Amino acid sequence: MAPDALARRCPRLGGEVTFAYCRQSGEEKAPCFKIFDCWWERFDVVAHLESCLAPEVFAGLAARRPPPNKVASLVDLIRQAKERAAES
Amino acid sequence: MQPKSIILAKDEIPRKWYNILADIKMNPPLGPDGNPISPDMLAPVFPMNLIEQEVSSERWIDIPEPVLDVLAIWRPAPLTRATAFEKALGTPAKIYYKNEGMSPPGSHKPNTAVPQAYYNKVFGIENITTETGAGQWGSALSFACSQYGLTCKVFMVRISFDQKPYRKAMMQAWGGTCIASPSTETKAGRDALERDPNTPGSLGIAISEAVEQAVGDTTGKTRYSLGSVLNHVMLHQTIIGLETKKQFDIAGDYPDIVIGCAGGGSNFAGLAFPFVLDKINGRQIEIYPVEPKACPSLTRAPLPTITGIRPDTPRFYPCTAWGTISCPRPFMPAACVTTAWRPRSANWPMKADHPAIGGPAGLLQSRRLVGADRRVHPGPGNHQCPGPGGGGSPKGQGRR
Repeated sequence: MAPDALARRCPRLGGEVTFAYCRQSGEEKAPCFKIFDCWWERFDVVAHLESCLAPEVFAGLAARRPPPNKVASLVDLIRQAKERAAES
Repeated sequence: MQPKSIILAKDEIPRKWYNILADIKMNPPLGPDGNPISPDMLAPVFPMNLIEQEVSSERWIDIPEPVLDVLAIWRPAPLTRATAFEKALGTPAKIYYKNEGMSPPGSHKPNTAVPQAYYNKVFGIENITTETGAGQWGSALSFACSQYGLTCKVFMVRISFDQKPYRKAMMQAWGGTCIASPSTETKAGRDALERDPNTPGSLGIAISEAVEQAVGDTTGKTRYSLGSVLNHVMLHQTIIGLETKKQFDIAGDYPDIVIGCAGGGSNFAGLAFPFVLDKINGRQIEIYPVEPKACPSLTRAPLPTITGIRPDTPRFYPCTAWGTISCPRPFMPAACVTTAWRPRSANWPMKADHPAIGGPAGLLQSRRLVGADRRVHPGPGNHQCPGPGGGGSPKGQGRR
């Protein structure tokens, strides 16, 4: 079975999603930051992504550290929202 | 018939929340620029009375009467002896579980949704926005807002919006507005749709939309609400553990071990923090967060063998995880989820469904006030992974 069609429960959403969703549900359609954690038991997700992502995209994903704490994320989202409001 | 549940009278509901920040020292969170975040930086999304709770170091915080009035719809929640489970395990242990499924939306989330809605109302806020994945938090907040006459707008990730129409119906039943995200209501949503009109959405986009709506309301009457991770969320959830302690008093018992499911951390914190206070005061008790194998924030995390940041041999892959524990043994997936305890008496909550455990709970783990061991029920083919430092058997192992 092609990995894109594999399905499992998403711990972030609380419902079933396919690998295809995880592959593009991150920022700017990048893979979700939890994609390695969630899929490594089902198939060799590292090798798969390494083969199908551009080297710099894979390197960015692999080097990604845990997301910043929630409060810091919120402050960043507030900043972004203010910028969008200023643009429009 | 033997009664199985310990049920508190309505007037025995706890009247104060326990704030663990009075007993542990936490540095203020750092912002994206690396500097400490000040309360006013959060003012665009939270009312100041909730921000004050977020940073409060007062040990006991009064639960307002109008909040108690709503919580009393389903609280106090029963503490029930899991006799059939004990029998199935063949254990002499007494196993209790705290049933947090009694609330109208069916989860523990209203424990914080209700006070959050109340404090927004008191602050003069009229509208609350939020995001939701599968819809549990959106349902809870819709329910809570309906109790205080607030409007509630929930941005629900499109893929879940399509998968779970009944959750949307629940929100609507309580007067909430449930919108598939990305939507055309926000610039963040419109941008996402422009990039891909058929996008199934993501939690990141939904959060951006909810925050944008709150920040962009020039009347100042809209705020955003979050159902996990933050300190004030944990605070509100401590009503779970405080009730549980009263119920153990009635039972004439006290748990040796407390186990709570940990996802976003609020359920675990709510149950565990009041017992952590006892432990800080010298009581012998073991406290363990348990996480689903599906979202291992504590027992497994971003993998250093992939990131290349720390050297691990493939043999140990992926045992050494960011921010968690190391396991100096070959990795055995089946051995890394805490489960199947045989305590003399334990509290066994029922639900876990959030990612990324919250700050205080993670901090307690790092200070060994709550467990961090990967443990398994001993049996053929299994082995145990010791905690930090490796080597010895986990404390309390002999009782299992």
